Formats: sequence, C-alpha cells, structure tokens
Amino acid sequence: MMGPADKRTGNNAWWFLPWAIPCLLMSLWWAVSATGVMPAYLLPHPLDIAETGYGYIFGKPEGGPYAGRFLSDAGASLLRVGCGFSLAVAVGLPLGFLSGRLWFIRKLMSTSVNALRAVPGITWLPLALVWFGIGMKTTIFLVALAAFFPVYLNAAAGAGQVNPLLLQAGAMMGVRRLRGTFAILLPGAMSHLMAGLRLGLGISWAYLVLGELTGVPNGLGAVIMDARMLGRIDMIMVGIIVIAVIGRMSDQLLQAGMRCCFKSARRMM
Amino acid sequence: MLLQKRQEDDVNSHLKAVPRKQPHSIEEVLRIDCIFKGFHTAGGYLPVLDGVSFRAEKGELIAILGRSGCGKSTLLKIVAGFMPPGSGKVLLNEHPVSRPGPDRCVIFQEDALFPWLTVQENIAFGLKGKQRNMKVRAQEVEWLLALVGLSEFRDYLPRELSGGMKQRVALARVLILQPQVLLMDEPFASLDAQSREEMQNLLLLLWKELSHTILFVTHDVNEAVVLADRILLMDKNPGRIREDVRVDLPRPRERESGAFLNVSKRLHRALRD
Repeated sequence: MMGPADKRTGNNAWWFLPWAIPCLLMSLWWAVSATGVMPAYLLPHPLDIAETGYGYIFGKPEGGPYAGRFLSDAGASLLRVGCGFSLAVAVGLPLGFLSGRLWFIRKLMSTSVNALRAVPGITWLPLALVWFGIGMKTTIFLVALAAFFPVYLNAAAGAGQVNPLLLQAGAMMGVRRLRGTFAILLPGAMSHLMAGLRLGLGISWAYLVLGELTGVPNGLGAVIMDARMLGRIDMIMVGIIVIAVIGRMSDQLLQAGMRCCFKSARRMM
Repeated sequence: MLLQKRQEDDVNSHLKAVPRKQPHSIEEVLRIDCIFKGFHTAGGYLPVLDGVSFRAEKGELIAILGRSGCGKSTLLKIVAGFMPPGSGKVLLNEHPVSRPGPDRCVIFQEDALFPWLTVQENIAFGLKGKQRNMKVRAQEVEWLLALVGLSEFRDYLPRELSGGMKQRVALARVLILQPQVLLMDEPFASLDAQSREEMQNLLLLLWKELSHTILFVTHDVNEAVVLADRILLMDKNPGRIREDVRVDLPRPRERESGAFLNVSKRLHRALRD
C-alpha cells in the first residue's frame, strides 16, 4: 500500500507513551507501600500482589483457596461476556441501522428504547435473579441488556449521518438497496459503529462483574466478591488488574478484528 | 459569427430562439419537456422552475448559466432523477426518466468520493455490478487512471488528494460507466483559478476523445464560454430559460481573444439585467 493510510498512529519513538501513566502509578504505589504511609491491610505491597497474582494464574505448591483458578475463572467470564455481547450486537446492530435509516422504525423504537435506557442496569438484577436464577443466564441477560444501548444508539446515529451525497453517488452509479447497504451505508457509518461496539464491550465487562457478584461459583467477579468476604484485599486487587488487562486486550482484539474485516475500519480510524 | 450579429440586434431579439440546425443532422439524446418545480417553504410556495424546455443533441456540450438561486442545480437534480419534477418530463432517448441511473452520471460540486476507498477502488466502484471479469475491469480502471492523469496516485485515499485531483477521480469513476449524458453541477467552483482552468482543459480533452453529451451547470460566464457549444441563460424567480445562445467560437478557445471577450461581455450584461 503506497498511500500513507496509517499516519495517525504516530511515531514509533513514542511507543512507551501509553505505559507512562501505569508506570507512574506503580512507582507511586511502591513508594507509598515502602514508606508505610498506607498500612498493608489497606494497600498491600506490589510484590505481594505480584505473588498472589502468580499463584492465582499458575498455581502454588502449597495450594490455597485461589491457587491456579485463573483459567477456569477467566474462561467462565469470557464465555459470559462473549455470549452477552454477541447477543447485544446481533440485535442492536441491525435494529440500530434500521432505525437510523427508516423513520418508521425510529418512531416505533424511540419511546421504548429511551425509557428502558433510563433504567440503571443494576435495577434489573433482582428481576433477573427471579427470572433466570443465579448463574450463567442472569449474567448474560445483564451483559446483553447493558451492551445493547450503546451498540444500538451508535449504529442508529452512524447510519443516520452517512453523507447523503454518497448515497446519491451510489444511486447514480446503479447501486441498488442491498449492495448500497453493505458497500456505502456500512462503511459510511463505520466510525460510529466502532465506537458503539467498543463502548458496548467495555460496559459488558462492568455488568459481567455485577452479574457474577451474586453468588456464582466461578468467574472473575465471583473471585473478587469471595475475596472481599475473606478479607483478602490482595486478591481483590489481583482481580481488578486481571479484569483491566483482559478488558483492554478484548478491546484491542475487537479493533484488530474490525480492521481486518473492513477497509473502512482500517483506513478511517 | 452568429453571436456577434445578434449582439447588434435590439434587446428584444434576445428572447428569440436560436434557429436550429438542419433536422437530418440532429440526433436527440435528452429532451427536457416543460419542467415545473416548486418548493413549499415556511414563507409559502416558492416556484423554482417555470416551464423549462430544451433538447440536447448527441455529443453536445451545453452550459446552463445563471446566478445562484435560479434553479439550475434543481434542474440538474431532476434530470439526474434525484428529485421528481412538479410537472413535465425528462426523456432520455425518448424514454422517460424516473430514477437515478448509470446512463446519466453526475459530477457533484462537493467531494462525493467514497473516503474509505483508494483512487482506483473508487473508479472501479460502479463497474463492480456490471463487469464481472476482473481482468477487463482492471484494464478499464488502468485506462481511466491514465486518461485523467492519476496513475501514480492509484493507491491514495481521497483525503490525501487535492480538490482538483478529487474531481479527476469523480470524472473517471463515472466515465468508466459510459454514461449517455454527463451532468456536471458546478464541479470546478470550489477549485483555485489554476486548477479550474486545468480541469476545464481536461474536460474538453476528454469530451473530444469520448464525445459525451454534457450538461454543465455554472455561474461563471467565462467557464461557460470556454466550454460550451450552447449556453442556456437562466432567469431567476422563477427560473426559466431566457436565452439559448450558440457559441460558434473556434476551438481551442483563446480566453484573451477579442471574440471571446465580446461573447463573455454580452453574457455578463445579460446576467446582470
């Protein structure tokens, strides 16, 4: 590719910039723990966290309640987020697209979507527990519900703001409905779609933990809740860090996947 | 020359129609038949086009010249099929036009390229539905790239091109569809003077080569005189064709020649009243 299509990623010499803030926070934390300003039962030393984390991920010879549980927890959580988020995308994306293009669908959906959107996701938890019981289904329901709105709303906004000139240009070049949808509307709305998907995936992780706080046996949220009851603050922090890392990785994976599949995602962001 | 002779006539003769060529030489491509169009606005009904009629012969380059707001762009949109006329008909090869299609291609004033496609993908876009053979498709794209002088920029994205280059791509991507009529809506209005002249020359070159029928909407008198075989002078409020001026200046036209300046002076005056 000759055209310098990826100018905005910037200079390679600045690769460390995204890590500057985490490093700063780490050193601050280290300093605070080392000087004893914060007692260890409130803020454990980074090395202790590292040790707990290592044990959680790779297991420990002496065992312990959390040793080596990482794979099964992360697997369970990923499955729940994956199912919930996919459900939200499967419904939200086409519906959002339609309501962005067709006044009838937009009018039909407006009251319901905006009223439901005003309800905080956590209020659904008691109802979901009654309907689906504790476990997989409740979590998926909460994740799907929460991720639906950003996906739907951004898809609608994106489809609505596609430059009408591009559609006219397509029409005059003999492009009919179906091809127009995939060759013009979808790429034209790509930056909004992408924003919606990323927001949706991010919020999926938030609601995953909410869903898992209710007494499921496995999952990253369950570990955190369990550690709270046992007063294992080091384990809580390990859980937080693990979720941060997996969340960030899933976001990058999503972006990479979209870039791989769509020219418009590759060239417009 | 017809125009200079008419110039000496009195003012009323402007309203006379130009005598048409001999019937046997006419091959009519486009007929605009008594188009009326108006819009309902907050201030009431606003008539925009008031009985516009004309015919375009095959290979003719017609400029539609008028001040902003005279309805010339509306007329072009109706011919393109983006907008239905209030009443009247547009006939292409005697078939009524009802929706946009690749037989009447538009070059828009603003940039209407697909920003996520490279130059060559933009040019190939319209062909995808028509030409299944990848090899033929690549050849045609190659030919058009060369024709508009963008071979070296084939892999650039539109945002990396200048305004003039974008309009070259816009030309190429419709020429590849071999339209019967090319509709150009002030396509060079937003370019700087040099690129505008360059684009006008390119258009004339392409027209000589491919001899399309072209409707060229503009508010620039000199542009109209440089390009057109015929200039339709449009009145404002409501829009109607006041005058059908045949420009018989020899090509290539010298922008500084006396005859050229005479014609453009007369049109300037006509636009002003």
